[in-house]
Amino acid sequence: MDAAWIVQAVARPAPSRTAFVELRSSPMLRQPLRLEGEYRREADGRLVRQVHAPYAETTTLEDGQATVERAGRAPRRIALARAPELAAVRNGFGALLAGDAERLQQHYTLHAEGGRQRWTLALVPRDPRLAASLARIVLHGRGAELRCVESRPVKGEPQRTLLAGAAAEAAGVTDATALAALCRGDAAR
Amino acid sequence: MSSVPRGRFRAVLALAWLALLGVGGWLLSGHLRLEEDLRRFLPTPRTPAQVLLVDELGEGPGARLLLLALSGASPEALAARSQALRAALADRPEIALAANGGDAGLDAVPAHLLPYRYLLSPTLDEHALDADYLRAELEQRLQDLGSPAAALVEPLLPSDPTLETLRVAEAWQPARAPQRLHGVWFDRAGAQALLLVQTRAPGFDSAGQQAAVAAIHDAFGASAAAVPESAGARLELSGPGAFAVAIRERTEREMRWIGTADTLGLLLLLALAYRRWSMPLLGALPLASGGLAGLGAVALAFDGVHGITVAFGFTLIGVAQDYPIHFFSHLRPGLDPRQAVRALWPTLATGVAATCIAYATFLFSGVQGLQQLAVFTIAGLGVAAACTRWLLPRLTMPARRDPAHSVRLARLWQGVARLPRPRRSLLLLAAVALAVVLLAPQPFWQNDLSRLTPVPPADLQRDARLRAELGAPDVRYVLAVHGADTEQALRASERLLPVLRRLQGEGVLEGYDLAARYLPSAATQQRRQARLPDEAALRAALARALEGSPFRGDAFEPFVADVAAARAAAPLALADLAGTPLELGVAGLLLERAGGSTALVSLSGLQDPDALAAAVAPLGARLLDLKQASESLVAQWRARLLGALAAAVLLLAATVWLALRSPRRVLRVLAPMALGTLLILAVLRGCGVELNLFHLVALILVAGLGLDYALFFDHAGDDRDQQLRTLHAVIVCSLTTALVFSLLALSAIPVLRAIGSTVALGVVFNFALALLVARAPAQEASP
Repeated sequence: MDAAWIVQAVARPAPSRTAFVELRSSPMLRQPLRLEGEYRREADGRLVRQVHAPYAETTTLEDGQATVERAGRAPRRIALARAPELAAVRNGFGALLAGDAERLQQHYTLHAEGGRQRWTLALVPRDPRLAASLARIVLHGRGAELRCVESRPVKGEPQRTLLAGAAAEAAGVTDATALAALCRGDAAR
Repeated sequence: MSSVPRGRFRAVLALAWLALLGVGGWLLSGHLRLEEDLRRFLPTPRTPAQVLLVDELGEGPGARLLLLALSGASPEALAARSQALRAALADRPEIALAANGGDAGLDAVPAHLLPYRYLLSPTLDEHALDADYLRAELEQRLQDLGSPAAALVEPLLPSDPTLETLRVAEAWQPARAPQRLHGVWFDRAGAQALLLVQTRAPGFDSAGQQAAVAAIHDAFGASAAAVPESAGARLELSGPGAFAVAIRERTEREMRWIGTADTLGLLLLLALAYRRWSMPLLGALPLASGGLAGLGAVALAFDGVHGITVAFGFTLIGVAQDYPIHFFSHLRPGLDPRQAVRALWPTLATGVAATCIAYATFLFSGVQGLQQLAVFTIAGLGVAAACTRWLLPRLTMPARRDPAHSVRLARLWQGVARLPRPRRSLLLLAAVALAVVLLAPQPFWQNDLSRLTPVPPADLQRDARLRAELGAPDVRYVLAVHGADTEQALRASERLLPVLRRLQGEGVLEGYDLAARYLPSAATQQRRQARLPDEAALRAALARALEGSPFRGDAFEPFVADVAAARAAAPLALADLAGTPLELGVAGLLLERAGGSTALVSLSGLQDPDALAAAVAPLGARLLDLKQASESLVAQWRARLLGALAAAVLLLAATVWLALRSPRRVLRVLAPMALGTLLILAVLRGCGVELNLFHLVALILVAGLGLDYALFFDHAGDDRDQQLRTLHAVIVCSLTTALVFSLLALSAIPVLRAIGSTVALGVVFNFALALLVARAPAQEASP
């Protein structure tokens, strides 16, 4: 399987939008937090992550900084240099949507597996600071459709973001195991 | 004695003398503590601003701050370089603190201060830790957990659900921080990464500042390897320390070439005048011995020698360079050098004694700097004269030629003898000079010390720009508020906060910083402590806040424990900050003294000092103008010096009177010196020069030179050969002095120019006047 083919296949011309469903688990939470919203790639290159439920929050990632807007609060700006996790989203997911293979290669080593109908692409961070907390990002897809982003931290549970068709199929699904299966594409069998 | 053993004896004596000088120099270089501390050189302060200036001179928050700007690469590369530079500077012993805006994160708060976060943060002034507030905060934390940055926040949540740690870290950021790009400070245009560096050495310690500046350049060079994409980046440095270092280097550079040119010129002149290679070398021995003796005497009598004592002192004992010249010019074939010096000694001794007695008045000035100067010059001149009297003749070979037999000199003297002996015209000259001195329009004295070591305008502009970008404190104005102890001072400074905020809104000033921002008074901390709920109330509020929340009921046990700890903690005190990055910043703004404490408020972008002073006066705070204070101290110093000089002139006249015992001769000796001084003043004032301390010191030297010229002319009496030898001596003396100081007068550095021009002018005037007035009239018989 060829990583370059995947990168080219999943690229979407800007502006583009993709619905997502994300599950966030934490030992502090009774049950994983389930977020619904959409990722947008704007024509000017900004990547926007908009959460619709269970609350409204907009995170805009641009060159060097992130802006977080929440209902009833002043926007907060964070330098990407100080938040490697945010930079990882921009340089991983954002670069992938833009079809920017060069930026992707610059920040990650890529490992592709599977066939065109069902593939995975693993991104291993090159930046040692990021690698200290993030082991790898595993992308699951079918053909030109990127269906799930699985973030595997060095410590703790993987965090999953279901996209496009997988996000639609996840509507109404609350069981973590079922969602994990959806991410991996098992449910499609 | 035959000439061979005589020659061997001379060689042994010369070597012994050199060895003694070498040992003395070695001992001094090992034990001499050279002080850079201006405080020792200034008079006792009187006004509060003077006290603060002298107490904190160069240690204040502004004086040890250096402003750094990185430019010439992409913003990302500059940001990375800024981080690498800060990391490198953090390990340097010369640097107390380096900030680039990159430390606003959670790790900015030292771990042992974390339990105090509820006492340090202003949150509790506005909110209680009740159910409503906690619910709103937990809602935010849930969104934090759902964000891509969750991993940053998650570890903190169990103990700090209100993220108080972050709020404290943000509150500790500079009052008016510049914008942040890629995590570090940048200027408004986004082209320069900015850093603030606090040196460990105080501002007046120019050697310490030099080390700090070198450390910064080192670290900057070393950090290039870590960030290769910033290889083309440039570093700009500004701030009082950087200026001082630049001026010091410039002065040293100028002194090096002037010193080299002077030495060569001096050797050449003396070799030409006496046609013997040994003369220039022998001629240097008395001055070198005097200098060492002066340093040694000061080192014995005082704790340390001040840098200014050394600089002024060596200027003043420059008169001793003339002693061997007078001796050499009075040598002639067939005369034992020891006999020559014996004939000369009464005159030389009169000059030395008069000068030393004059300097002795400095001992009673009450200013340690002047006392050191007196000890230095008296010991230096005394030893130089003694060396000329008792050591030099035993080293000097009998002369091969007599200056009195020089045809050219004889012709010159005939010309001089034909000159009229002016009386009325000199009185007229004196009157005109006095009028010029009094009527010149510019102020008489220059009190502004900074004008003596001027910073190039381009550097000043850059400093102002960087200072505005970084919100760095003003180095001239500072607010001070006094308290019986540190707590009272902190409370008094907290009472200023509403006024300062209002004035900031009105544009009177752009920013301020005070110790209470980092360390609130115990009263404020206790007020916040009283608002912390007890454990039962907190548990109840938390339980209500957690109703219907996705957080687990027991997720925040560490928070409950931390609040209980904060409720019971003793308020944070100054001593608790020791070893933290806050220590130095707070210490610079909070001065603990025996008689109470003073809290300082550093100011930035002050537009209207009068409005600020008026607004804070009712609260017991005072706006201090450090520039005005330093000028008043300089004026006070000068007043003491002038007082001492007035007494010195009387003593000097009395000494000369005692030695000469004839009113006419006393007048002939003293008049050239007095008139010469007046003429120098007239020329300087006529050229629009404002006089400073360095002019004054140079005038004292010139008076000493003039006195010697006149005494020797007087001593020559009406013996023609003696007159010729004296003329030879005074010509060589004035040529050497004029050579040394006219090169200094060419310097671009005002301090050197002030000394150089004054002395060079003085030598010319004194030479001419001594010749016109002090030479014995041909018709007058010697007594």
